[in-house]
Amino acid sequence: MKALLEAKDIKKAYKMGKVIVPALRGVTFEVAKGEFVAVFGPSGSGKSTLLHILGALDRPDEGKVFVEGVDLSALSDNELAEVRLRKIGFIFQFFNLLPRFTALRNIEIPLALADVPDKESHERAGEVLQLVGLEGRLNHRPTELSGGEQQRVAIARALVNNPSIILADEPTGNLDTTTGWEIVQLMKRLNQEQGVTFVIVTHDPAIAEIADRMILLKDGMLEGVEERGGRL
Amino acid sequence: MKRKTIFSMAWENMKHRKLRTTLTTLGVVIGVMAIIALASLGEGFRATVTSQIEQFELDVIMVMPGGAITRSGMMYLTRDDANNISQIEGVSVATPVMQKMGVTLYNGDKNASTLALGVNFTDFQKVYPNRLVFEHGGLPQPVKNDTIVLGYRVAHAKTGENFASIGDEITMKVNVGAWPPIWKNYTFTVAGILAESGGGTLVSVDNVILIPLETAEEIYKTDYDIIFVKLADRNLAERVAKDIREMFQNQVLALAPSIMIQRAGNILDTVQIFLAAVSSIALLVAGIGIMNIMTVSVMERTREIGILKAVGAKSRSVLVMFLAEAALIGVVGGLVGIPAGYGLAYVLSSGLSTIRAQPETNPALSLLEGTSLTITPVFSLTWTVSAVIFGIVVSVLFGWYPARKAAKMNPVQALRYE
Repeated sequence: MKALLEAKDIKKAYKMGKVIVPALRGVTFEVAKGEFVAVFGPSGSGKSTLLHILGALDRPDEGKVFVEGVDLSALSDNELAEVRLRKIGFIFQFFNLLPRFTALRNIEIPLALADVPDKESHERAGEVLQLVGLEGRLNHRPTELSGGEQQRVAIARALVNNPSIILADEPTGNLDTTTGWEIVQLMKRLNQEQGVTFVIVTHDPAIAEIADRMILLKDGMLEGVEERGGRL
Repeated sequence: MKRKTIFSMAWENMKHRKLRTTLTTLGVVIGVMAIIALASLGEGFRATVTSQIEQFELDVIMVMPGGAITRSGMMYLTRDDANNISQIEGVSVATPVMQKMGVTLYNGDKNASTLALGVNFTDFQKVYPNRLVFEHGGLPQPVKNDTIVLGYRVAHAKTGENFASIGDEITMKVNVGAWPPIWKNYTFTVAGILAESGGGTLVSVDNVILIPLETAEEIYKTDYDIIFVKLADRNLAERVAKDIREMFQNQVLALAPSIMIQRAGNILDTVQIFLAAVSSIALLVAGIGIMNIMTVSVMERTREIGILKAVGAKSRSVLVMFLAEAALIGVVGGLVGIPAGYGLAYVLSSGLSTIRAQPETNPALSLLEGTSLTITPVFSLTWTVSAVIFGIVVSVLFGWYPARKAAKMNPVQALRYE
């Protein structure tokens, strides 16, 4: 089976003043279509850096990332933006919604960027809002929504352009346990019912619990892969 | 990305920071307002000056002693001079005139200071058929030596009462020497009173009295001060004026109103450009304000820019979003600037009129009274549209730097920005 997402020997280092800090020291793995993968590791293990590189937001110093067989290192910045727009959805710990726009408008931003016509755009936004269970809150601004609701809007935004894969960075990190569990259930449900592929960077054992596979990251290196076959 | 979406997003962002947006836009409003106000006052000034000059008869040239190069010798023009001028091709009449200041008229206990013109009535009427129109009386045929014709304002003294009526015998006291003055009195009979003829700065006949040329020659014993030249066609003015100057080796002034209009036009163009340049400075300051505020705004919205890039916005889309905000500031500022500019122009013009509206008391200068300038602003579509477009262009140009800064942000760093 051809991998949906493929990371080959990814290396990345940061400069902190004069000191060079290696964040990733050669990470290789694959994600198949329809998988629900958790990337587990302590803070500072390079999880977020890995996610940014997988999501075409950042470029590795060495190594290659393939999305649906396309080598991201061969693409221009504009083409990477196009990949983020159409192939990848992001979910963040702090939701990262645009504060001045309503839930609906936030969800419509990727559609607007993809030049989807107005009518289709409204329909699609309505669909994904229903999928995440937020039909009644579409005209509220982020400040008028609870953390769980904001994260649902963010998930809807990630889903709206039918991406190949959704990358989530600590999606439950800023939520209480109950709400966090609801979000985990929502993502797993989307994975099982809609076939959406997820790669989730997390500390949350609840996510590890339900993941198909768990990738352990430590000091920028892959420490192990655990097949879990997790279910809700 | 669709233009509509970009602008509606920009609009929402601007609405969010009302005070900031309003103040930034105010800069553009003031700039556009200043350009429109000053330009329309300039146009108004042009219209006033042009209409004043156009009250001159465009087919008349005035020849006076004293040239551009030398003033030597020539004090007066002679009858030969007039005859020579009348030989020039395109000249239909050339009539000499005496112009004497310091004349006082007495009628009973009333008196009036004025300017006397000694004219050949027949020829002068040919030169100025529209000015020698009688309100009362007329010219006796043949003209008698003691005939006097009063200009409208001489006859209708400013106090309201009439200075004289037809048939009145009035005394004219004149200085027949230069210095020391030699005063002599002459008696005239009022034959006619002219209707009001209005402006025209050099040839207004409202404030003068006209007496026969022969009588003036007898009184003053000098040659002539001006030769009025009537042309067959007004378009000949420039050529004939040049011929006359050559005929007198540049020792005369040959004033043709059409040439004055042209020169005044050139000066007014310069004034207009100067005013526009000065008011453009206001707009440039507004542009710097936009750059300043947008740079701050880009900093504040760093995270937002990171989010937009993460969900798939290209650098170009981010650039266009911020430029759209700058453009909106320009458009709104420009549109508000139009009525503001019109308003300011009216306020300024009424202010200027108040300052200028003082009656002239010196009788010699009262000839110039028609020139008290009332400037009514003239709004031209060209200036209005140019000012607004300039406002938008300045806004976008100065918005370019911060917008580019936003577009070039690294998405990962922008997302981490707190």
